[in-house]
Amino acid sequence: MLSIKDLHVSVEGKDILKGLNLEVKPGEVHAIMGPNGSGKSTMAHILAGRDGYELIKGSILYQDQDLFDLSVEERAQRGIFLAMQYPVELPGVNNMTFLKESMNSIRRVNGQDELDAVAFMKLVKEKAALVELPEKLLKRDVNSGFSGGEKKRNEILQMALLEPKLGILDETDSGLDIDALRVVANGVNALRSPQRSMIVVTHYQRLLDYIKPDVVHVLANGRIVRSGGHSLALELEEKGYGWILEEDAA
Amino acid sequence: MNSSIIGQDWFQNTLLSNQPEIEKSKVLAVNNIQAKARNQLKHLVMPNRKQETWRYTDLNSLYEKMFKLNDRKTIDAIDVDEWIFPEQESYRLVMVNGRFNPQLSSLEGLSDRIIISAFSQLSAELQFDAARILQTINSFESDAFAQMNRSLFSDGFYIHVPKNTWIEKPIEIAYVNHSSDDQVLSQPSSLIILENDAQAKVVERYMSLDEAEYFFNGTSDIVLKKNAHLKHYRIQQESHNAYHLSRVALKQKNGSIYKNVNLALGGCWSRMDIQTAFEGQQASCDLQGVYTVRDQQYNDIHIDVKHQQPNCTSQEKFRGIIHGKGRAVFDGRILVSKDAQKTDAQLSNKNLLLVDDAEINTKPQLEIYADDVKCSHGTTVGKINPEHMFYLRARGIPEDQAYRMLCLGFAEQVLEAIEDKPIQNYIHGLLSNLL
Ligand SMILES: Nc1ncnc2c1ncn2[C@@H]1O[C@H](COP(=O)(O)OP(=O)(O)O)[C@@H](O)[C@H]1O
Ligand SMILES: [Mg+2]
Repeated sequence: MLSIKDLHVSVEGKDILKGLNLEVKPGEVHAIMGPNGSGKSTMAHILAGRDGYELIKGSILYQDQDLFDLSVEERAQRGIFLAMQYPVELPGVNNMTFLKESMNSIRRVNGQDELDAVAFMKLVKEKAALVELPEKLLKRDVNSGFSGGEKKRNEILQMALLEPKLGILDETDSGLDIDALRVVANGVNALRSPQRSMIVVTHYQRLLDYIKPDVVHVLANGRIVRSGGHSLALELEEKGYGWILEEDAA
Repeated sequence: MNSSIIGQDWFQNTLLSNQPEIEKSKVLAVNNIQAKARNQLKHLVMPNRKQETWRYTDLNSLYEKMFKLNDRKTIDAIDVDEWIFPEQESYRLVMVNGRFNPQLSSLEGLSDRIIISAFSQLSAELQFDAARILQTINSFESDAFAQMNRSLFSDGFYIHVPKNTWIEKPIEIAYVNHSSDDQVLSQPSSLIILENDAQAKVVERYMSLDEAEYFFNGTSDIVLKKNAHLKHYRIQQESHNAYHLSRVALKQKNGSIYKNVNLALGGCWSRMDIQTAFEGQQASCDLQGVYTVRDQQYNDIHIDVKHQQPNCTSQEKFRGIIHGKGRAVFDGRILVSKDAQKTDAQLSNKNLLLVDDAEINTKPQLEIYADDVKCSHGTTVGKINPEHMFYLRARGIPEDQAYRMLCLGFAEQVLEAIEDKPIQNYIHGLLSNLL
């Protein structure tokens, strides 16, 4: 599904990723943990194609294709979905219109018929109920005036509608209460399938209790410094990152 | 040559070459209006760039051209196929090249208590009434283009809604240009009067059936009596080569409500002037609009709101989308005189700048002489936020579509207030085609 090899990335002259390797197979769920500022969002943004990063070296293959050959929208159209850490507000852009446009843009390029208004409405209401997003927020402008939790639910709603092949969640659980956390976890679990992969960036092992990742990685010093099972997350929660950083330095 | 002389010569030549056409106007009422305006013009100079309110306007390109009033031959077989409202659900008034076109107009089912008519179709008595009202209002007295409009008065519309009457159907007015051999001069006027507690909805559209070059120079005078309520939409969708100049003069009595939305899209040269005055208390005036600027286009909005009575509310909210290397001018003036306590006046002008070499001149002016008022103004010039673009594209939306959505989103801050869905949809369509 995804193969990142020796990825080096800098931002404004500052090296952030320094030799990151990551292999994600179809059906796998990978958790990525790590101290603040270690480059987790940088990695997520690189995968989604965001501007402002300088690729120094390395390669990323997505479904055996060079990811850097694809524009932002092409990546989304081929199944990459990034739930953003800080979803932006889009004043004047109606949420429902946005969701429909997004869905139909992706359907169009994949040779599927566009959904008509009625079919779309039915689907979006169903998925909104799933992520417990109040229907009135569908009528508002995208994320405008949404609470932190509502913004995150709106991200999961988009993921549920678009059914990506590779879902990347960037701290979608940060700042959420237990109910919202459950919604995020359900959103991920509902999409789990042998064909689909997930990368879940998180600070808290609590989310992983619900999601049960196949692998847990620690991203620090610009690289994956350690990988393990769910128990690694528990250990990090208990002991923090200090010991891993020390071992890595040694 | 001195720019003020160029304007004077241009006007004199325009007058001369149109003289035979004007002579044909046998209606005494109209002759009076013409005569008065010509007299007034003796004291005025045609605008030039030395005048403060015209300093950004390239008038020379206008003064280089000669425009002619359309002769009386009727233009048949034209087809205005794009209406906002279905025929049965609206009243229609159509003017083609400044001449009333009865074939395209329709007033079926109109109560005879209400007047919705072209000037030329009115009885002599009503013509005198309307002319007298126009003379009394005497709007844009010192605006030479307004006096030019009067001095070559050809035809116009008169809408009179009696006391307590609500017109349910919208009145859709189309000023249509249809090219002929000459560069057409269109100078319509409209007079809209809503008596106490009357309500109406009027859409004025300025359009062309082709890419002709012409000069539209129109005035709309509006009087809202006590508690009258008018929704007034104006959609300027002229040809790319048109010169468009239109004015609105509004007078409001106690408790009246005016809601106005302006779209200024077409023309190579376009200017809208709106002047409002309160003549009673507790009245409110809401002026909103969206203008766009493409390459080589000049688009200008001038607004003058006068608060001379206490307890009135005004809002001006205009959004500009500058997508080409042209020039946008927004000049919004609010005057609050010393007796106008408890005035609430808000002005906002935001511009979305999508190219590098466009010019935006935005000039809010608040002159406040009362002390107990709530007034604010704000103007901004901004660009598309790259994070917004990224968000949309990361959801699979192609770049050009994402761009369009964000531009429309920007305009939406004005358009969302439009309560009439057909109008809102129509405007959305116009803007998406443009961007
Ligand atoms: N646009 C930017 N400009 C400058 N520095 C940046 C920018 N984006 C990220 N950084 C820096 O890159 C480093 C990694 O950031 P980030 O990927 O957001 O970390 P994480 O998500 O792991 O907290 C941080 O030191 C951050 O300050
Ligand atoms: Mg981050």
